[in-house]
Amino acid sequence: MNDDTHIELAGYCAWSGRLRPGWLSTWPIARTGLDLVFRRKLFWLLLGLGLLHFLFLFATIYLKAQIRVQNPSVNRFVDTMLKSVAGAGRTYRDFMTAQGTVTMLLLAFAGEILVGNDYRQGGLVFYLSRRVARRHYVVGKLLSIALLVELTTVLPALILYLEYGLLTESMSYFAENTRILWGILGYGLVMAVTLSLLLFALAAWLPRTVPLVMAWSCIFLLLPAFGAILRSAYGDRRWLLMALWRDMRLIGSWCFGALESGRDSPLLVGSIAVVLAVCAASAVAILPRVRAIKVVA
Amino acid sequence: MNAPFTIAASGPLTEFTAVSKWYGPVIALNDVTLHLGPGITGLVGPNGAGKSTLIKLLTGQLRPSLGRVRIRGLTAWSAAAKAWMGSCPDVDAFYDEMSGRAFVRIMARLHGFPARLAAERTEEVLGQVGMAERADRPLGSYSKGMRQRIKLAQALVHDPELLVLDEPLNGVDPIGRAELTVLFRQLAAGGKAILLSSHILEDMDTLADRIVFLSRGRILASGSLAEIRALLDDHPLKVRIGASRPRELAARLLRSELVLAAELAGDEVVVQVRRPKRFFASLAEIVIEESYDVERLQVIDASTQAVFDYLVNWNP
Repeated sequence: MNDDTHIELAGYCAWSGRLRPGWLSTWPIARTGLDLVFRRKLFWLLLGLGLLHFLFLFATIYLKAQIRVQNPSVNRFVDTMLKSVAGAGRTYRDFMTAQGTVTMLLLAFAGEILVGNDYRQGGLVFYLSRRVARRHYVVGKLLSIALLVELTTVLPALILYLEYGLLTESMSYFAENTRILWGILGYGLVMAVTLSLLLFALAAWLPRTVPLVMAWSCIFLLLPAFGAILRSAYGDRRWLLMALWRDMRLIGSWCFGALESGRDSPLLVGSIAVVLAVCAASAVAILPRVRAIKVVA
Repeated sequence: MNAPFTIAASGPLTEFTAVSKWYGPVIALNDVTLHLGPGITGLVGPNGAGKSTLIKLLTGQLRPSLGRVRIRGLTAWSAAAKAWMGSCPDVDAFYDEMSGRAFVRIMARLHGFPARLAAERTEEVLGQVGMAERADRPLGSYSKGMRQRIKLAQALVHDPELLVLDEPLNGVDPIGRAELTVLFRQLAAGGKAILLSSHILEDMDTLADRIVFLSRGRILASGSLAEIRALLDDHPLKVRIGASRPRELAARLLRSELVLAAELAGDEVVVQVRRPKRFFASLAEIVIEESYDVERLQVIDASTQAVFDYLVNWNP
């Protein structure tokens, strides 16, 4: 019995063909992560909460447009009453910042599923036994976290932007407000990169939900509170830089062109430095968790 | 040789060259040189012998402290080397909510298979491991044996030349063991190299073509069981012979310089012999000359367990 016959008996069919490059494997990794997250009802609940805010704004913009069409004389009154949906950069910045609350909760609980499980239960072994390098794995996981962030912030903001533009009398809204579009994408990118790196680093070292949520809360609740106390004590606004979410918001304001020159501008450079430092520290923390032990000689 | 995909590679399938690995002050592998070729190689050793480290080095989860581990000339931890190797780790805590079919398909996708081909390969390997009908259930609901089969399926999905199986029969029911044993043998006969680690040493008797005995990070012996057993001069081989006129046969055998002791047990003679090859040749001559009717001939202590015990307790 020759070798081929044995293989045939095993029901084994050798495969030869052209395989896709490793970078394309990042998508299945990201999609698997999202798939696992959306199997849990808790995440649908959190997404639903985020959607409530979006729906409220969506309805308000529609209502405002209808009032304008039916009774143009009350335009100024409506604009005064509904400042929060003025359609300026600040509207979208505030919306995305408000969505951040839901995003924070979502990520705090998703960290274990997206990254922690791979370390706690050994799933990493399966990924790394594939024809993917560690960088592909890391990028795939970061992509899955970033997509969650974009799903709750950028996507609804873009829909609101489209709605606002389409409900104005002419299409000039889009032409006049391209900065808003870049602002949405820029603020979204800052949040996605910062939060995905930070969550990956935390979940790789604290794979269980409880310690992860505690660490997450420390960064996004305790540190800002501590910063506010120090600011009151010393009267120095630079203590506010300890609030990472505020730092990202400041960079977002700059992206939207909605920076308040007197209050925010002096802190912008500091905020950028803090965000970059957090990203760099997270990247450094991630490396030893995905690297095989070094060659000594 | 099976599909090399699009990755250019050359050199022996697997080679460990003077590999040492230590964790801080603890040495896990000490100057291990090993080549794996087609067929089933069993990996045997007590706890802490370095089996897991050796497997982790081969599957690219760890880098050696010294020496090199290569698969077809590629460093074992490179992504390219993974195309030649399928790994079935002892970890079986998957994503509980995911179905077995989805898990295997994703593993295929991670190897670079386009979606349609990944689905086709998934169905093929699920059929092979006997999980095609049950693969839609969530992984969390699987028994230990079913998890082992799914792990095997994901290891086979990209048609690797080398299969690294860590305790693959652990938790598999007797029928499943028989099925998987046949599958392993057929894959090996087809030219695949299989490195199989198992704490059930009886598995090795029936499965392994070669065995690597590890202890305290060193390779104690490697080769076929018969070859290794023959080298153990300090431990005479025990042979049970069921024959007519056992008392007379025992007396006759004791006259041979190759027989160290003989013991009567009912109608059987248990002899302790050295240089087994020469003994069996001389036994054949004696049986023919003296016209004994030999009904049974059994080597008692040449099992993996016996050889393993001798090797581990061996003090040179």
